[in-house]
Amino acid sequence: MSLVELRNILKQYRKGTETITPLDQVDLDIQRGQFVSLMGASGTGKSTLLNLVAGIDRPTSGSINVADTEITAISGSRLAAWRAANVGYIFQMHNLVQVLTAYENVELPLLLLPLSRAERRKRVGIALDAVGLLDRANHLPRQLSGGQEQRVGIARAIVADPTIIVADEPTGDLDDETSTQIVALLQQVRKLLDTTLLLVTHDAEVAAIADRRLHLERGVLSDVTDVVGTTT
Amino acid sequence: MLTVSGSAVALLVFCIISAVWNGFELSNLGQQADRTLIVFQANRFCPATSRLQEDYQRTIASISGVQQVAPIQVFTNNCRASLDVIVFHGVPSDKLRRIRDLQIIDGDWKSYEQRNDGALVGRSVAERRELSVGDTFTIDRVKIVVSGIFSSQQPAEENTIYTHLDFLQRTPGLNAVGTVTQFEVLLSEDANLESIGQQIDDHYRGGPVPTDTRTKGQFQASTLGDLIELIGLLRYLGYACLALVLGLVATTTIMTVQDRVREFAVLRTIGFSEKRIFSIIISESIILSLAGGLLGIFGGYAILAWSDLAIGAEAVAIVIQPTLNLVWKGLIISAILGFLAGIAPAFQATRTNIVEALRHV
Repeated sequence: MSLVELRNILKQYRKGTETITPLDQVDLDIQRGQFVSLMGASGTGKSTLLNLVAGIDRPTSGSINVADTEITAISGSRLAAWRAANVGYIFQMHNLVQVLTAYENVELPLLLLPLSRAERRKRVGIALDAVGLLDRANHLPRQLSGGQEQRVGIARAIVADPTIIVADEPTGDLDDETSTQIVALLQQVRKLLDTTLLLVTHDAEVAAIADRRLHLERGVLSDVTDVVGTTT
Repeated sequence: MLTVSGSAVALLVFCIISAVWNGFELSNLGQQADRTLIVFQANRFCPATSRLQEDYQRTIASISGVQQVAPIQVFTNNCRASLDVIVFHGVPSDKLRRIRDLQIIDGDWKSYEQRNDGALVGRSVAERRELSVGDTFTIDRVKIVVSGIFSSQQPAEENTIYTHLDFLQRTPGLNAVGTVTQFEVLLSEDANLESIGQQIDDHYRGGPVPTDTRTKGQFQASTLGDLIELIGLLRYLGYACLALVLGLVATTTIMTVQDRVREFAVLRTIGFSEKRIFSIIISESIILSLAGGLLGIFGGYAILAWSDLAIGAEAVAIVIQPTLNLVWKGLIISAILGFLAGIAPAFQATRTNIVEALRHV
């Protein structure tokens, strides 16, 4: 059974008097441990699809089953608990809490799990070490570079050992050199944790490193893994 | 910072107003006040103008239901409304022991009874005027020696100086020998206050000096009539201060939540439930309100403790003193205001769509 199963997903929303349909009867299966990249032009619904898998948005119709839970059928509070236990979310804009240190930002997801303080400290240490920022643990976000902030964001996403990591254009706000470092780090972390990764990107080079490449256009999803030279 | 300092000032004012009201209630709520009558000269207001024959006490004492009658000569430094009222009560010492529950905290009864010019000084007056046992204290035409300092469960008592009756009657210029300002009549548990008061007034209606008898509470209320109206108005000012705190904290919390829409969306993405986000915002709002509240309440407490004020008129004093009860009341009100102020922004933060909030710049 697939880790992620999307069936007949329709997503519509209203913009003024117009009805937008970013996803139209989309089906998708992602296997456990797979690294999947999702590309497509701006506004085609890549982030919408990623947010549905992450459980922070709901489809207009259709069902989503992730890690044996039909997340389209559970209440908001249960969905929040499910996210805490199963999803690691990497944002484009880092989205760190500015008044908290790197350590405290990474610790946030663990506060929702039944862990002792010592266990939390251990896990935060491992996560920060994995992204090479153990020595910056007590720094505030404003004391870090953009690349370092994104590393903290990655550490926060992996610290609770999630079932699936979703990354919404994690290199979109970084320069080329830092982007390369972050992509390398994502690969390294995924191998280390043997976790499932769904990554939305505009960058064909970044997408190329994935096991499987998907392309979204006009609400329709297609698998382009074997298509050579696919670009957006 | 602006919110905390604004809340602090508002709570400080509220604290002081509450202390004034509290003092007024305490002066009226003494257990004895419920079964004690005050006999005053009819149509007189200031103690200086009330002159009743001292021997009225025998007639009053003979009325059924009357337990004690204490003749009291009152002398005050200020008959008008004032923030530094000092009231002398001249009472026979044997009667004083029976009608008042005074705890001598410095000095003793014996030395008081042995000295004709000896006086028992209330703790509040002693602190305000920095008096200690053995000191001589002169105000206007009265010169006393402090024989003891007492505390009392009724704060208003602590603003009084007790002297021997005959000593105060002989105050130069007072010309009060054989007369007293008022009688304090302590009744038995089953006595009918109105009926006995009526009997006393009926008896002296034809002279030589007509009386006006009321319960101690009524007497104080009528004496402090204008002040009570003022204090009543002050209460509304106190409520306005609380409304100000509510407005300040609510505005700040709303602005903070609007600034942090994205942060809360990130927390919800991570897995924080709506309930938890709601609790975080409410907690922050309560902490904000309590921070201002703590500053204001303890500021007010310090001012009241330092100033040792007594507001009064016509020899009836309301002691404005800080109490622990006032501190608790202020803190609880601050917390409640913080809670109320946080409700709307907390709902706003939890009802916002996560995806839309993540796009918020």
